[in-house]
Amino acid sequence: MTPAAELSGITKRFGSVLANDSVDLTVLRGEIHAVVGENGAGKSTLMSVLYGLYRPDAGTVLRDGRPVRFRSPADAIAAGLGMVHQRVRLFPELTVAENVVLGAEPVTRRGLLDRTSAVRRVTELAERYGLPVDASAPVGGLPVGLRQRVELLKALHRQAEILILDEPTSVLTPAQAARLFAVLRTLAETGTSILLITHKLGEVLETSDRVTVLRDGQVTGRFVTAETSAAELVHAMIGRNLAPAPRRPRERPDAPYALEARGVRLGNTEDPGVTFGVRPGEIVGIAGVAGSGQRPLVDALTGLGPATGTVELLGADVTSAGVATRRRLGLAYVPDDRDGRATAPALSLARNLVMGDQRTPELRGPLGGLRGRAVAARAADLVTRFGIRTASAGVPLSTLSGGNAQKAVLARELARRTPVVIVEEPTQGVDVGAQEQIHALIAEARENGQAVLLLSSELSEVRALADRVLVLFEGRLVAEFAAAEATEAALGAAMTGVAA
Amino acid sequence: MSVTADGVRTRRPRNALRRVVLAPPVLAVAGAALLGALVMAAAGVSPGTAYPALVRGAIGGGNLSYTIASYVPTLGMALAFAIPFRAGEFNLGGDGQLTLGGITAAAVALKMPLPGVLAVAGALVAAVLAGALTAGISGPLATRLGLPAIVGTLLISTPATALASYLVRFPLAEKGTGIAETPLLPERAQLPPLGGSEYVTAGLPIILLVTLAWLWVDGGTVLGYEIRALGAGREFARYGGLPVARLATSSLAAGGALAGLSGALIVLAQPYRYVDGALTSPGYTFTGVAAVLLAAGRPRAVPVTAALLTVLQVGGEGMERDAGVPGQLTQVLEGLIIVLVAVLATARRLRRS
Repeated sequence: MTPAAELSGITKRFGSVLANDSVDLTVLRGEIHAVVGENGAGKSTLMSVLYGLYRPDAGTVLRDGRPVRFRSPADAIAAGLGMVHQRVRLFPELTVAENVVLGAEPVTRRGLLDRTSAVRRVTELAERYGLPVDASAPVGGLPVGLRQRVELLKALHRQAEILILDEPTSVLTPAQAARLFAVLRTLAETGTSILLITHKLGEVLETSDRVTVLRDGQVTGRFVTAETSAAELVHAMIGRNLAPAPRRPRERPDAPYALEARGVRLGNTEDPGVTFGVRPGEIVGIAGVAGSGQRPLVDALTGLGPATGTVELLGADVTSAGVATRRRLGLAYVPDDRDGRATAPALSLARNLVMGDQRTPELRGPLGGLRGRAVAARAADLVTRFGIRTASAGVPLSTLSGGNAQKAVLARELARRTPVVIVEEPTQGVDVGAQEQIHALIAEARENGQAVLLLSSELSEVRALADRVLVLFEGRLVAEFAAAEATEAALGAAMTGVAA
Repeated sequence: MSVTADGVRTRRPRNALRRVVLAPPVLAVAGAALLGALVMAAAGVSPGTAYPALVRGAIGGGNLSYTIASYVPTLGMALAFAIPFRAGEFNLGGDGQLTLGGITAAAVALKMPLPGVLAVAGALVAAVLAGALTAGISGPLATRLGLPAIVGTLLISTPATALASYLVRFPLAEKGTGIAETPLLPERAQLPPLGGSEYVTAGLPIILLVTLAWLWVDGGTVLGYEIRALGAGREFARYGGLPVARLATSSLAAGGALAGLSGALIVLAQPYRYVDGALTSPGYTFTGVAAVLLAAGRPRAVPVTAALLTVLQVGGEGMERDAGVPGQLTQVLEGLIIVLVAVLATARRLRRS
C-alpha cells in the first residue's frame, strides 16, 4: 500500500540555522504517527513544509505516491491535508458553523452563505465523528477545549485525509485529552492518517502507532510504539537519560509561613475565600484545571490585582501593598504569561533580565544613569549560570526559543534568592531537556530555603516537585494532599470537582 | 564591536552597508521618490525639473537659513510625539500644546517686564509648563477614566487652539491692525540671531541640546529604561513594579513640554510675535509624527528624519515657485513615505510569522 505521505531528504535552513537536515518521514494510511522532539528540534518546520507554509531547500514530498509541491496551505488543503494549530485560529465573532465551513462554504443561489445548510452539515459532521458541539453558537463564547474541536471539525469538513495536530493537549484537561484521543483513534480506524506533534511522552505511548524522534533537525529514532519505552524515547530526544531532581527532607517543618493567604476570595463574593501558607524550604503545589482561580489568586498575592482577606509576606501585611513593595520585601514571581507579563519580547534579553532591579545601586549610576556595563555583566552572568542559549544578550528576547525565554525569566526571578517565589506553569511550551533543568532550578530554590508556591496544571510536574499539593476548583481550595498521597487519580478527581 | 542602545556589546554585522540600504526608512524614502516621480509624470511635470527645484528650494541660495529655522519646530514637534511614543502613548494633540505654548510665551514676554536674559528664559519656561499641562491632563484621563491618550490629546487640542486664538484676538491683540496678532515682542524677549543669520536663532542650539538630553535619558538612564519597558509591554511594566500611571503621565507631559517649547521658539523668532494660525498652518505637528514613524523605533534617527521632512516641506514651496509644481506634491511624497513605512513593517512581520 502506498503511504499517505512520504517526505524524503527534507532540508530547510533559516540563515545559519539548519532546522531540518535531510529528514525522512513516512506517514501510513490510518496510523497515528507521533513526531516528538525538544523545542527547536525541527518538528514545526517539518510540519510547515508538509502543510505548505515553508518550501524546503531540498527534498521531496510525495502524496499518495505522487510528487507534490505545495506553494501555500491552500494547496495542501486541496491535497487533503488539515492542520490543527497549537493556538486555535478561529474568528470569535462567527458561529461554529460559519468557522467550520469557511473556505468551502455552501452558498444559496444568490451567492450568499447558506447558513441553514452550513449548520446542518456541521451538525452531521459532528455526530458522525462523535464531536458534539452547538453549530450555531458563536466561537468566542466557547471554552478552549471546544474551540479546538471546532478546528478539528473544520479540517474534517474539508475532507482532510492527513491531520496534523500541533500540541493538541496543551489546552485540555486530562479528561478532555482522553476524549480527544478516543476521537483520533476512531478517525484513524476509518483511514485518516494523524500526525501528532507533542512533547508529552505519556500521550505518545498511549495513543500513537509509530514514533519519529527529531533532535537538532535530524531524525534520531524511529520506533513502533508498542515496542518502545519512555526512557528510550527520551534518550533519542535529548541524547542522554533524565536524572530525577534530588530531594531531601525539609529541615524546618514548623517554621512560620513566609507567604500566607487568609480568606482571599477568587471570584465568588459569597465564598469564605482561600486560606493557606507556604513555609521556607517547601514547595507547595497548586493543582487545578486552567481557569479555576489561579489568575486572581496570583494577582492577589503579587499585588497585580485586587486582594480581599489578608495577604502576609514574611509576617508583614501586604494586602494593599503595590508590586514594587512586595518585590522589595522579598517576592519573586515567574508568570505563566510569558510574552505579555513575564517579558517584553521587543526588548533585548539583557534588558529583560534586569527588570525590577534597575533601581538597585548595582545598576543605577549617578544622575539616574543606567550602568550599561553592569547590565551587560549581569546578563552575561545569568546567561552562563542558567544556560540560556542565545546569540548574544543584546538580541531581542523574541528571538529566543520558548524554553530559553522561560529560562531567562527563571534566571531573573530565582537569581535574586528572595525568601518567597511564586512559579506559574514553569514548563508550559518548554521541551523535555529544558523541563528537567527548570525542575532542578525549582528544587534548588527549595534547598536554598526559599518558600515556593508552584501553580501548575501539569499533574506530573506538581507531583514531582511539591511537598504538599492543594487543589483549586472553581475558585475554592477543595483538597490538600501530602506528596505521597497525591496520586494522579486522586488529584485528577479533585481537579474536576468529583471528590472534595 | 559596537554598543547598541542597550549598552550591550554586540558584533557589528559584516553586511552593515546592506543593512543600512535595506533599512525600512531608507527603502521607504527611495520608494516614495520613485512613486512621486510617477505621480509627477502623470501630472505632466518632469521629475527631472521638479526634484532639483525641490532641493534648490530647500538648500539653495538664501533658502538654507529658512530651512534650518523651520527645522527647529519640526524637530521639537517630532520629540513631542516621540517621547510619549516610547512609553506607548500617542500624543496627537501637538497643535494645542504648540499654540498654548506659543501664546503663553508671547503673554509673558509682553506682560511681564523681566530683566535681561530672564525675559527669554521666563517666556520659554512658561511655554514649557503650558505645553506640559495641556498634554499632561490626558494622563489621568487615560489612567483613571480609561480615555486613551490618543483620543484625549486630540480632543483637548481643538479647544486649546481655540483658546490661543481667542487670546490673540482679544486680550493680547495688536490694536488697530486688522490681523489677529500680538504686538511686536520687546527686544530683550527676542531670541538672539545666530551668526548674523536672518532666520536662525538661538532656538537651534536649544532644541539640539534638548534632543541630545532626550537621547541620553532614553538610552542611558533608568528612567529611559522604565519608559521603554512600559512602551514595550504595559503588563510587563506592571509586573516589574513600575509606577505605570506616573510614567505614562509624565511622558505625555514631557512631550507637551517639548511642543510648548517649540511654540515659544517660533514666537520668539521672526517675526517676533504670535500670529494666529502661523503655528499650525505649516503642519509641524504631523510632520513631527511622520518623522518619528519614519525613524521606526530608532530614537537616534529622529533628528535625521525630521531634517529630511523639513527639506521636503520647505523645498516644496521652492518647487512651486521655480518649477510651477504644486507644493501639495510634497504632501503626496510625505504620505507615500508613511504608507511605505507601514507596508514594509507589515511585510516584515508577515515574513517572520
